[in-house]
Amino acid sequence: MNIKGSPWKAGSLLLLLVSNLLLCQNVAPLPVCPGGAARCQVTLRDLFDRAVVLSHYIHNLSSEMFSEFDKRYTHGRGFITRTINSCHTSSLPTPEDKEQAQQINQKDFLSLIVSILRSWNEPLYHLVTEVRGMQEAPEAILSKAVEIEEQTKRLLEGMELIVSQVHPETKENEIYPVWSGLPSLQMADEESRLSAYYNLLHCLRRDSHKIDNYLKLLKCRIIHNNNC
Amino acid sequence: MKENVVSATVFTLLLFLNTCLLNGQLPPGKPEIFKCRSPNKETFTCWWRPGTDGGLPTNYSLTYHREGETLMHECPDYITGGPNSCHFGKQYTSMWRTYIMMVNATNQMGSSFSDELYVDVTYIVQPDPPLELTVEVKQPEDRKPYLWMKWSPPTLIDLKTGWFTLLYEIRLKPEKAAEWETHFAGQQTEFKILSLHPGQKYLVQVRCKPDHGYWSAWSPATFIQIPSDFIMNDTTVWISVAVLSAVICLIIVWAVALKGYSMVTCIFPPVPGPKIKGFDAHLLEKGKSEELLSALGCQDFPPTSDYEDLLVEYLEVDDSEDQHLMSVHSKEHPSQGMKPTYLDPDTDSGRGSCDSPSLLSEKCEEPQANPSTFYDPEVIEKPENPETTHTWDPQCISMEGKIPYFHAGGSKCSTWPLIQHNPRSSYHNITDVCELAVGPADAPATLLDEAGKDALKSSQTIKSREEGKAAQQREVESFHSKTDQDTPWLLPQEKTPFGSAKPLDYVEIHKVNKDGALSLLPKQRENSGQPEKPRAPENSKEYAKVSGVMDNNILVLVPDPHAKNVACFEESAKEVPPSLEQNQAEKDLANFTATPSKCRIQLGGLDYLDPACFTHSFH
Repeated sequence: MNIKGSPWKAGSLLLLLVSNLLLCQNVAPLPVCPGGAARCQVTLRDLFDRAVVLSHYIHNLSSEMFSEFDKRYTHGRGFITRTINSCHTSSLPTPEDKEQAQQINQKDFLSLIVSILRSWNEPLYHLVTEVRGMQEAPEAILSKAVEIEEQTKRLLEGMELIVSQVHPETKENEIYPVWSGLPSLQMADEESRLSAYYNLLHCLRRDSHKIDNYLKLLKCRIIHNNNC
Repeated sequence: MKENVVSATVFTLLLFLNTCLLNGQLPPGKPEIFKCRSPNKETFTCWWRPGTDGGLPTNYSLTYHREGETLMHECPDYITGGPNSCHFGKQYTSMWRTYIMMVNATNQMGSSFSDELYVDVTYIVQPDPPLELTVEVKQPEDRKPYLWMKWSPPTLIDLKTGWFTLLYEIRLKPEKAAEWETHFAGQQTEFKILSLHPGQKYLVQVRCKPDHGYWSAWSPATFIQIPSDFIMNDTTVWISVAVLSAVICLIIVWAVALKGYSMVTCIFPPVPGPKIKGFDAHLLEKGKSEELLSALGCQDFPPTSDYEDLLVEYLEVDDSEDQHLMSVHSKEHPSQGMKPTYLDPDTDSGRGSCDSPSLLSEKCEEPQANPSTFYDPEVIEKPENPETTHTWDPQCISMEGKIPYFHAGGSKCSTWPLIQHNPRSSYHNITDVCELAVGPADAPATLLDEAGKDALKSSQTIKSREEGKAAQQREVESFHSKTDQDTPWLLPQEKTPFGSAKPLDYVEIHKVNKDGALSLLPKQRENSGQPEKPRAPENSKEYAKVSGVMDNNILVLVPDPHAKNVACFEESAKEVPPSLEQNQAEKDLANFTATPSKCRIQLGGLDYLDPACFTHSFH
């Protein structure tokens, strides 16, 4: 290496680096689609692929968590009978079969998904807190709850991005069903408390499956034009 | 009467029961719904198991209601699913909603209900196996041959809209093998297999599963015969490569075996070892260091008798005695002016050897003015090992016992490099000092003269260093303060062994003899021009005996057993107290009187402190 040239090289490298950093500040983390379906499709495809991966993962975790909880605490004790109408998201007009799903328009479908995701932020947070505070907190269940909470936040961010791309004019609608099951999670009576946890995990498993199914439907509809 | 009625009733019932039992007719047993499945998330079917047969025709009916509804429904289709089944069509199937259903078995004798079953279609999905599995061997010309298999999804599953997602898995094995080779195929409906045994007949199967649900059953096996010429092109190449490399390895091994060492040396030349001129390794092995080192040209190592070159330490002498001396002189000789010159205001011990020559030269001049009254503070005793020794000038400093003496008649302790004429070589305590003061009978005058000369010298030296009475007083005080501390009395190797401020002279430790006696050489060799040479450089004498070393740098000196009378010490101590030092001298004396009794040895009426003991008490 030429000793004489090294200060010049170092200086030019530094200049390049600084200029890159300055330029990078103006670059958005995700490219915005100003218009043109073809251009947006590529980016939207990646967003949907990522969203589907996340929703699939979240449901797998929820399913495992429910199975472990049931096996450990409530198996064979008929707790399922108390899960009737126990989910806080049942007020949302979610489609229950393929025909109904195909009848909902794309925009409403997306905001529905976002509402469900938003309504689960608080319950997941309290679930983690309460499980963590348990005596002899079951590590398997706690770790899954933590992971679900984390991934749900990411999924919500992704969905908001998708909405901003597909329907940029959509006004932010922060209405979502509120969960009020915290007192029942903290009840002194063990039977009631277990029932509350069972309900919560049952509803989580169901809603995560809903979101996963809806996203796969939307992906095929928006990206592949119903030709998956 | 009543009893008769009762007994008659019982008899009738028993008769009836007997009749029934003889006929074998009972109400039906309790049925059980054991399985519900949905193949496509759009319909589902439930199957039940009937209970015990009552012997009479039994009707089954399945009733259900859904989550959020109160209305009871009956099964819409008992046929499609086969016997003892209930099939729910598209309009009756809802996802994400719990169905609560039960079966009722009824016959003439009675009916029985099954337990309620809570079913959610979401979790009972199991598709049918894939269809139309086709397998064929493909052998393209330019590429490797492979087994190609293709299938199609089961019917009635909606994949296009994304409502349903399928994942596939295939497995194959040679006809007579025991284990299956399974491969996950994801969402694709075709698959390639590359590694196959030629000439064998293979079985291939495929199955599928929803994204969240149960695996389907395996499809019926498809047979395929692999042709015998199904050879991998790579194999030939790999075989030839393997043979070639084996041959090369053999050649290398053979060459190494034959040539062996010469090759190794050719590749890795030996590293030359270090060569030291005159170094003979054999001598080292034998352990004769003298021969070895002499061969190297190193003379006289390790030093056996001559420590001259080894030890170059200078001892600093406290100069406070000069003042006493001077004060003594002043009493007898009105030469007050000499006083200030004796005190060395420099309290720092780091004067270094460079100072000593000038010091010595100057000090030696001073005492000339007052030769008669000079005591020779140095007591020289016969060394136990009569070897050439050097004079030890700074006697005052190294002896603990000297302290009171110093203050009382400190000037006597001036660094007079006189001792060289004294045949005695060991000096370390007051008695010795006194001895020196008394001087050997043979040459007292000479001693005194020389002492005087030395005193002069030292005083001049001191004067040359710093001037002023204040400095003088400071030095005295510092000396006093330092005398209160521990180790100044010892002979450390440091420059400030006594902590005093007045090293009037420096002594070079000429050598240490075998018994630990220090031979001191006054550092005056540079002053060759001095007329008065209070010592003969070649005539060094031992003055102290080192009993041991403490803390790696403090020499513990032992008194010479032949301590002389020290009556003169007492005398001089009484005479001298200078006004400045008197109080402090008495204080110091008191300090010393406080020393442990064992340290005090009475010798001729004079207190004598064992330096070793004294040292110990300090610590």
